[in-house]
Amino acid sequence: MLWLYLHFPHLMLDHIRRTREDEGALVVVEGSGQKVIQACPDARSQGIRTGMRLKTAISLAPDLGMVRADETQEARILEDQARWLYRYAAHIVLVPPDGLLAEIGSLQKLYGGLAAVWQTVEQGLNERQLNAWIGIGYTPLAARLIARAGKGECTADKGHILRSLSQMPLLAAEFNEKACTRLQRLGLNTLGEVFDLPPGELARRLSPELLAYIQKIQGTRPDPRTPWQPPHSFRQQADFVQEIEHTQGLLFPLQRMLVELEEDLCWRQQDTDSLRLVLKHRHAEPTRLQIRTSGPEHRADHFLNLVRLRLEQHSLSAPVISMVLLVKRFLSREAPSGQDLLGETQDLNEAWHTLISRLQARLGDQALRQLSPQADHRPERAWSASEVLRKTGTPLVPAAELPRRPLWLLKGPQPLTEAPVTWFSGPERISGGWWDGQRVHRDYYIAQLNSGQLAWVFRDAREGWFVHGWFG
Amino acid sequence: MSELLNTLMQDARVWQGHRHTQTTQPAEPTGYQVLDNQLGGLGWPRGALSECLLDAPGIGELHLLLPLMQRVCEEGKSVFWLNPPHTPYAPALAREGVNLDQVVLIHTDDEGDFLWTLENCLRSPVTGLVMAWPGKLASREVRRLQLAAEAGSNVCVLFRERCYAGQNSPAALRLELEPGEQQDLKVNVLKRRGSWPGQRCSLAMAQRADLAFRETTRVVRGPWSGSTG
Repeated sequence: MLWLYLHFPHLMLDHIRRTREDEGALVVVEGSGQKVIQACPDARSQGIRTGMRLKTAISLAPDLGMVRADETQEARILEDQARWLYRYAAHIVLVPPDGLLAEIGSLQKLYGGLAAVWQTVEQGLNERQLNAWIGIGYTPLAARLIARAGKGECTADKGHILRSLSQMPLLAAEFNEKACTRLQRLGLNTLGEVFDLPPGELARRLSPELLAYIQKIQGTRPDPRTPWQPPHSFRQQADFVQEIEHTQGLLFPLQRMLVELEEDLCWRQQDTDSLRLVLKHRHAEPTRLQIRTSGPEHRADHFLNLVRLRLEQHSLSAPVISMVLLVKRFLSREAPSGQDLLGETQDLNEAWHTLISRLQARLGDQALRQLSPQADHRPERAWSASEVLRKTGTPLVPAAELPRRPLWLLKGPQPLTEAPVTWFSGPERISGGWWDGQRVHRDYYIAQLNSGQLAWVFRDAREGWFVHGWFG
Repeated sequence: MSELLNTLMQDARVWQGHRHTQTTQPAEPTGYQVLDNQLGGLGWPRGALSECLLDAPGIGELHLLLPLMQRVCEEGKSVFWLNPPHTPYAPALAREGVNLDQVVLIHTDDEGDFLWTLENCLRSPVTGLVMAWPGKLASREVRRLQLAAEAGSNVCVLFRERCYAGQNSPAALRLELEPGEQQDLKVNVLKRRGSWPGQRCSLAMAQRADLAFRETTRVVRGPWSGSTG
């Protein structure tokens, strides 16, 4: 087995920098807020070093952007990277807080050699604007040590890997402090010299744990790792250094997230029809937005248009400190089913979904309705309104079987205030609803009013007269 | 410059009093031969606004559009009803052969949403016909809608109150609708492109309540004999 280790020296910094439009000096400070633990190149050029006190750093660069390190957030960012790496490699192990392991021995044939694998990973890192040190080794620990020492080379030669391990100073080998001191007192300086010691002596004079560690590096003792499984949902988070007060400012990071969603959906070969957007505020409850499309969709620009519409309607109640994009519902992707040669039907279908989604995004789902007749004698129950769905090929009810009805139905019967001029037909008795308590017992007539309107009027059991529809 | 003028003349954008221009603008026949004749053999203009001005619903205004509605649905395009004053009754529409899958009802809360929705519907290629009940509308907004209508090639009919008949409007076709004596619909052409307005005609609409097929002797008289009560 050949392992590839990715060491992210300043993952948090990279994560925040790529959601920012403006470039500026940025540092990550430790939990207590005293020391700088990661500094971006901009900050470094202004003289800020890692390990520096925050006060010193601020005096060097007054407009310094600061982010507090947060363990859970770091773990989440690392998992984001694993999700991306999963596209290239199946067997991935998370090494918190800043490392990823991938088994690449089985990938060489697929990509056409180790160099191609290396290049693919490097290209992916570049696209995602991530800094990572890569190392290759025959055991997970060997790969890790090489990567963290920054000595990674694109080679699968066992002798070469062993040589670079042997030349590694003891301090870089990540022994615990006590063991490291004792080895140094023995006069050992490099890892190679430790490798040369007889195992029995090593266990007896130092400790069995140290022997196990050495053997794991060398590969003479098994070092099983549980592979990481990608979750069945999509989650992306953008964290902002400066709070965002206008919805316009959210669109830039959102665009990147949606492009990643599109890529993710493309890899899954799935579509989705609902996105959840959570805007977190510093002192208020997070704002949750649900964005729905009328049909399966995967394109980022389409989603972006819908979100833009939604955000235009929705002014921010408080400044936003971070934004989460969640997709939990996946639909199978349908192959284009256009039957005609020119693909015109397909275009219409797509245009239909675009229009309906746009309207729903701005007006709300309830504003759009589709009508259908229902099998009931009572006029107010003989129709129903439902959500808009693209249906085709519903057979038309033969016209003659339906009774004559007005094209306009009033929202409720209105009292008839004047005597009609002319009476035409009637009575048509409609009596029903004894089965569900909504009793209707009426005689319907068609009559013309003074204004010239043709009305559908009825008399109920209590001798009251009502208009129920207009023959429009 | 003269080319520009020619285009204006051909599209009948510039109204010339002394002669009737045969316009070449795309249009949909109304389905009523009498009305089509009055409109120069064209009908509802496509890619332009039409206005129907009437006092109250129930005089046959929907039946005026029914032939177009049926045709649009057959072509697989959508009919949008924007803010109708009452509920379009599904069983009646189905009886008239309108495919309800193509009918979409939209309700908007404020005027901004209304204009935005109408513009979006007009620009979409899936739309065949938009019927809208705008309520109050400034003439600047009618102009905006007219521009949106020109961007697409759909028929858009605004139903407005008859009191707007006196106001000018950028709509390409304006019809004043009145109920007639025999349950017919009297149409008065207030404005149309390419010719003089002022044509009047009457369309038989009695079939909308099956009245034409009834003999007077068989009509059941109502319980009222002239006065209330």
